Amino acid sequence: MSLELAGVERAYGDATALRGIDLTVRDGEFFTLVGPSGCGKTTTLRCIAGLETPDAGAVRFDGTDVSGVPPEERDVGVVFQHYALFPTMTVRENVAYGLRFDPPAEGSVDDRVTELLALVDLKGMDERDPDALSGGQRQRVALARALAPAPDVLLLDEPLSALDARLRDELRLELKRVQRELGVTTVYVTHDQSEALAVSDRLAVLNDGRVEQIGEPEAVYENPETRFVAAFLGENNCLDGRAVGGETRGSTVRVGDTSFAVTGEHRGAVTCCVRPESLDVNATHNRFEADVADAEFLGDGYRVHFDWNGRPIIARLDDAPTGRVTIGFDPDEAVVLER
Amino acid sequence: MGRTVVPTGRTALSRRLDGVRARAAGVADAIGARGAFLVTCCVLLVVFYYPVGTVLVAAFTHGGDPSLAPLWTTLTDPFYFGALAGALADPAGIPGAIVGWIDAGFPAVRTGLFGFTAFLALLGTAGAVAVGLPGAYVLARYEFRGRETIRSLTVVPFVLPAIMVAVGFTTMFGTNGALNDLLGLVGFHVEVAFGLPIVVAALTFYNAPLVTRFVVAAAETVDVRAVETARTLGAPRWRAVVDVVVPQVLPSFLAGVLLVFVFDFMAFPIVLALGGLRLATVEVWIYSLASDLRIPEAASLAVLEAAITLALTYVYLRAERRGGRDTVAASIPRVPLLGPPSAGRLLALAYACIALVLYVGPLASMVAESLTRGGSLSAANYAFLLAQQLGSGSARPTVAVSNSLLFAVGAVALAVPMGVSVAVVTGGEGRLRRLSGALLMAPLAVSGVVTGIGLLRGLVFGVDLFGYHLAVTGPVAIVAAHAVGGYPFVVRNVAPLLARVEDDLVAAARTLGAGPAQAFRDVTLPLVAPGVVAGAAFAFAISVGEFNATIVLARDGASYTMPIALERYLSNPSVGPYLGPAAAMGTVLLVVTAASFVVVERLGGRWER
Repeated sequence: MSLELAGVERAYGDATALRGIDLTVRDGEFFTLVGPSGCGKTTTLRCIAGLETPDAGAVRFDGTDVSGVPPEERDVGVVFQHYALFPTMTVRENVAYGLRFDPPAEGSVDDRVTELLALVDLKGMDERDPDALSGGQRQRVALARALAPAPDVLLLDEPLSALDARLRDELRLELKRVQRELGVTTVYVTHDQSEALAVSDRLAVLNDGRVEQIGEPEAVYENPETRFVAAFLGENNCLDGRAVGGETRGSTVRVGDTSFAVTGEHRGAVTCCVRPESLDVNATHNRFEADVADAEFLGDGYRVHFDWNGRPIIARLDDAPTGRVTIGFDPDEAVVLER
Repeated sequence: MGRTVVPTGRTALSRRLDGVRARAAGVADAIGARGAFLVTCCVLLVVFYYPVGTVLVAAFTHGGDPSLAPLWTTLTDPFYFGALAGALADPAGIPGAIVGWIDAGFPAVRTGLFGFTAFLALLGTAGAVAVGLPGAYVLARYEFRGRETIRSLTVVPFVLPAIMVAVGFTTMFGTNGALNDLLGLVGFHVEVAFGLPIVVAALTFYNAPLVTRFVVAAAETVDVRAVETARTLGAPRWRAVVDVVVPQVLPSFLAGVLLVFVFDFMAFPIVLALGGLRLATVEVWIYSLASDLRIPEAASLAVLEAAITLALTYVYLRAERRGGRDTVAASIPRVPLLGPPSAGRLLALAYACIALVLYVGPLASMVAESLTRGGSLSAANYAFLLAQQLGSGSARPTVAVSNSLLFAVGAVALAVPMGVSVAVVTGGEGRLRRLSGALLMAPLAVSGVVTGIGLLRGLVFGVDLFGYHLAVTGPVAIVAAHAVGGYPFVVRNVAPLLARVEDDLVAAARTLGAGPAQAFRDVTLPLVAPGVVAGAAFAFAISVGEFNATIVLARDGASYTMPIALERYLSNPSVGPYLGPAAAMGTVLLVVTAASFVVVERLGGRWER
């Protein structure tokens, strides 16, 4: 099942949540909506589920407009942020609930529930109450419940945000495994950019009710098209400057008194984005001197905070230098965005 | 940001209206059909708004024409409004009157009927605070066996039939009552004058538990960590209490006090039964005027009374909203009640004695009275009830008991869907919803006497419509009237639980294939079930104890209920000077009311919000 959103708008009173969302999710794809809180990602998800009605625009399932189709008639499974397990039902009853309305094509409801509980590694928990489960277990039940009626589309609304970090990593992998096994078209909502980069086949970065950029995680990370995307996905040093005169197959960007060589043809006001991991004390190009302000040990290296003429600069280095240090970066590593 | 949205064919308004319609339809569908809500409105219209309207219209007409004259006449009558009436009638004379008042050496100002009613309500409220606040302290501070039970029981006095409580208080505090019997053993005798003191005591009996419940509920929402923080910041224990606990409890306490004042202001049967016309309050006077068929005067009085109580109710609702109702991680731990003597424990002990006299006393002495005749143990009173049953008397006890139970079951069957549908439709935010919520809760705030007169004029006397004479009396009207009296309690018990049901739960059920009605039945209803059960218990108890509307609508003995039978025995001259038969009937009434609460307690109902 493929999904398409075309010009979807939604406002709550005077507050506009969605300002025209256009995106396509391919069949069987793990697609992520990522953005800061309030960017409209959950509203987008709820429009797909049929829990919100767009003020304008269309949501299409396999090319068919589903406007006016209530959620119970859309073949979607939703995992909610705070699990939303029915507290008055046992684990088994929760998972079996959707099968009341959509019995499995072959085999019994009981077998299907057992199969699902095995899939999410919850064998033998059938008769527990949701209250008696840990956060991670509840999330697995919620996933099994959403998947039980074999939905065409799986919608996940920040499913891991209520869990602690280690569990989050573990469940993230498992989610990906289950999704791949079933091949179900999946839309995943998260505010956590590292999560988005880790799980997605493709992702859309949302900001203020609009899509900023859509693409595969590597492509969006390496070639952000807007300053927002550059700063939101991973860390970035975004330096505002002016692109002046061309060199051979490249340009020069002036930031303050310093000139940086970059690739590509650029003119006028630009932002030059350099990832912390692109900065290096041994770099041969684009070298500049900055003062070390602080350094954080991260296990596999240091995150070093520099003060470069009043501008904060962050670099990922193997050692923690002190005092005034010369660092630089390769022209290929910088992303230059027109302002 | 700057992009303009091009409307796609439809106007923004029509799109917004669609949204509103879709949402309203979704909510209404959630209870199977809009029908339930519609039926509620119809029932309210027939047995509340129409009858009450027919009475209130009298306040706004004069000689058949719309007029404010009746209201103005009442407002400027010193009998009702005392000195204020003079000021209203002759505003120019106010300075002169004040000078004259000062010259005369500040004599007592005439306050009128409303002034006296407010005074009585003030005394009743003071009594409720004096008895209710220490009770709240004991329940909030100490842990002891039966604490939860006592906490549950604090709701019971509220639904006890006034006529029964009046019998209880007479048998306890009357000249030949249990109190004097006990004091007589040690050679004392007190003459508790019927009138002000006993009425105030009875009002206290009714409303002190309300203060207790409000304060205990608020105290349990105080987070112990806030107190601990204050202590670690250097505040001694008493300062921590003053700075942290008191400000959090105060809004709820004030809301409770306001509500008690409103109840006291409107109290009717208890004042009439224990005070008579000598202690005329506004409500009693409305009753007396209506008995003399002076309807316009009664109506204008009722309108003015309703204006006052509705204003106070509005203030109460605002105050109640301010009181925090959030659940907290850990409330302040209670200390064991049993332990080395301390000031607090001695207070608790003293309080227990007062509570015993005030609460157990009247009920126990009523039961005792029912079991004695001429000072010795006797079943004569119950024999009398049996004789009535077998004889030709109109108030047959078993008929009254079975009627009460039957009507109560019918009232519950009607009140529960009414209350749940109103809770669903008026739940959530929005001015319109608040307004409709307030309108639908009006039966709580309008004088019972006015409702009774309205029922009499509107339903019993009937109306001529299209050449047909329509009159509604008997069991159907009684059940409907009881349901109207009881359903606000279903709303109040269900609405808070409904607000706590996460939207995502219903959304989850919807995405799994359940329609709105199915999702409501499978997910929402089980979660609000405790509130439904508690509300049903209230509706049941209120139906069993209902007096005003029933006595109007019950045309003959065949539809008498227990409170009506009780009243008949109380005023039956053939019974002689004995309270016995009434006490026996009251005991039966007490047993039935108490049983309904025990049943619900077993079913796991919760009283507290």
